[in-house]
Amino acid sequence: MTTLNADAYQRQLDAIAAEPRMRDDNIRLAGAGAAAISRSLLFVGAAGLALTVIGAFVYGLRHALASYLVGAAAVLAPCLGALLFTMVLHLVNAGWAVSVRRQVENLMSMLPLAVGLMIPVLLIETVTSGTLYAWMDPEVRAHSYLIEKKAPFLNITFFLIRALLYIFVWTYLARRLWWYSTEQDRTGDRWLTARARWTSAWGIPVTALTLAFAAFDWLMSLDYEFFSTMWGVYYFAGAFMSCFAIVVLTLFAVRFVGRLNGLVTEDHFHDVGKLLFGFTVFWAYIAFSQYFLIWYSNIPGETRFFLDRKTGGWENLSFILAAGHFIVPFIFLMARRIKRTPVLLALGACWLLLMHVLDMVWVVRPTVYVHPMNDAWLEAINAGAGVEAAQAARDAQAGPGPSAWWLDVAAIVGVIALFAGFYIRKVASGPLLPLKDPRLPEAMEHKNYV
Amino acid sequence: MAISDYLPFLFRPPAPRFVTEAGKPVHGVLAQFDDVAKVYHAAEKMRDEGFTNWDVHSPFPIHGIEEAMGQQRTKLPFIVGGAAFTGVSGAMLMQWFMNGFDFRFVVQGKPDFAWEPFLMVTFELGVLFSAFAALFGMLALNGLPRWNHPLLASERFLASSDDTFFIVVEATDPKFDPLATRRLLESLGASAIELVEEA
Repeated sequence: MTTLNADAYQRQLDAIAAEPRMRDDNIRLAGAGAAAISRSLLFVGAAGLALTVIGAFVYGLRHALASYLVGAAAVLAPCLGALLFTMVLHLVNAGWAVSVRRQVENLMSMLPLAVGLMIPVLLIETVTSGTLYAWMDPEVRAHSYLIEKKAPFLNITFFLIRALLYIFVWTYLARRLWWYSTEQDRTGDRWLTARARWTSAWGIPVTALTLAFAAFDWLMSLDYEFFSTMWGVYYFAGAFMSCFAIVVLTLFAVRFVGRLNGLVTEDHFHDVGKLLFGFTVFWAYIAFSQYFLIWYSNIPGETRFFLDRKTGGWENLSFILAAGHFIVPFIFLMARRIKRTPVLLALGACWLLLMHVLDMVWVVRPTVYVHPMNDAWLEAINAGAGVEAAQAARDAQAGPGPSAWWLDVAAIVGVIALFAGFYIRKVASGPLLPLKDPRLPEAMEHKNYV
Repeated sequence: MAISDYLPFLFRPPAPRFVTEAGKPVHGVLAQFDDVAKVYHAAEKMRDEGFTNWDVHSPFPIHGIEEAMGQQRTKLPFIVGGAAFTGVSGAMLMQWFMNGFDFRFVVQGKPDFAWEPFLMVTFELGVLFSAFAALFGMLALNGLPRWNHPLLASERFLASSDDTFFIVVEATDPKFDPLATRRLLESLGASAIELVEEA
């Protein structure tokens, strides 16, 4: 790593250590404030999850589990995005991002927790033979030609084996990359950077595939009739975008309490902001492409997914997503001045995180709201009723109505607050940037000349 | 950039403020600098003196020179933005007129005015207009294309693509004065200075 000989490299490390910007009160958080915020968030999280359990008894397991799944999918996405982004930074030898990278790694290291939040869903699904995933239900399996054809992939055993594989791969990669970075903090061994790059080289395709298949398994299979080859990319787009949004917010908070002065500058905010902007556009591009092809080909099994989201009140959410996840941030984040003003960029990041959660609501809730099994809608259509009548029949059968909204809020806020509480604790637990990365001098002097 | 750059026969050129002994209008003063640090600090000084119509020439990009020169950011994004808006709304309007109004034609049972397929053309036309606006807007703001430039007559100036740095102050600058400007540039460490005539 670097062309410096051992002595010159040691001198560079000494120079970094002696740098006034690297003194302890600039690169470490005082634990007390973060611990207080973390405690209250954990309390909110616990309260939310307790309410979810109560809601499960009031409105049924199905509704509660669906709301919980929204939260779990929403927090898993940025962690996977952070894992991929860390590997991309290693692979392209990114010098500018070194002072930003520890925040990405903090988010990445939350992967075991985030994927752990998925485990209750998987367990409950397996035990109850498909509360949400209708294809697990023996009754449905017995009568569906489609599931018969999909059975080699969509069966509970393979489903669980795949889940274990995802959990193993992600945890392994996240822990390994975290170890490279923190071990380098300790020893200053520059070859750890090269080893991290080697791990990233095979880690990116492996993570890309497991992410796509996890999205197929845990989100797309909610409606076993529906399939979209774009689905993995769609989840990835949201994952990357939410990762940048959280990194922006973390950096803003850290700079707000007076840390990382001169180490993370408006030039760093500008660059992360450009990525944030780029991936809101990428999300829109993927979301539209997925919708457009299905709309145009108009094949019943696929089209129904979007029909559910264009009727029954869900069309409002679709409009909110199109405007709030693309048009508004596209115009807001376009200006250079806004990306270089941390408080405005953080505002945009907050907004986009909200949109990311709504995106997961949009993915999960409508499908669960209308159960494909013993479906009044399909029966009414088959009986020759009009679309209006069929929708009325569906809505009548759809279970708890708007009065159950507090259960959704409790479950989603609960999961996210729990995650945020542990994340803040993690951010405060160590130095806020890699201390002995060979490219740190480059990041310290980073300027954005465009 | 001005229209007079493109259609010079429409305009009577203003009388030159300064002429050489040979009676030719003065283009400006060319000052040679031998290293980056010198030209960078000279640029800062020129900016602080309030010169507006001047430029730095270098064989390679100097990071931060636009700050040293006090340059405003380009207006190009607004030109491109306007073109993009025109392209997007024009495309939507065109398709609405053709498929939704003038010649309504059912394709695959889709609505006459369905925004989904129209978005393709809308996007492409937005990109096309933006790309043209970016290219031609850039050329126009730079006063390009042009046949020749007075600086190219200077033998010394050819080194600006090799190993030498130049500051050129044009005679159109309100603060320009042949003698005072020359003295200022000398005091900033110029190794050679010459007067450039209009071609």
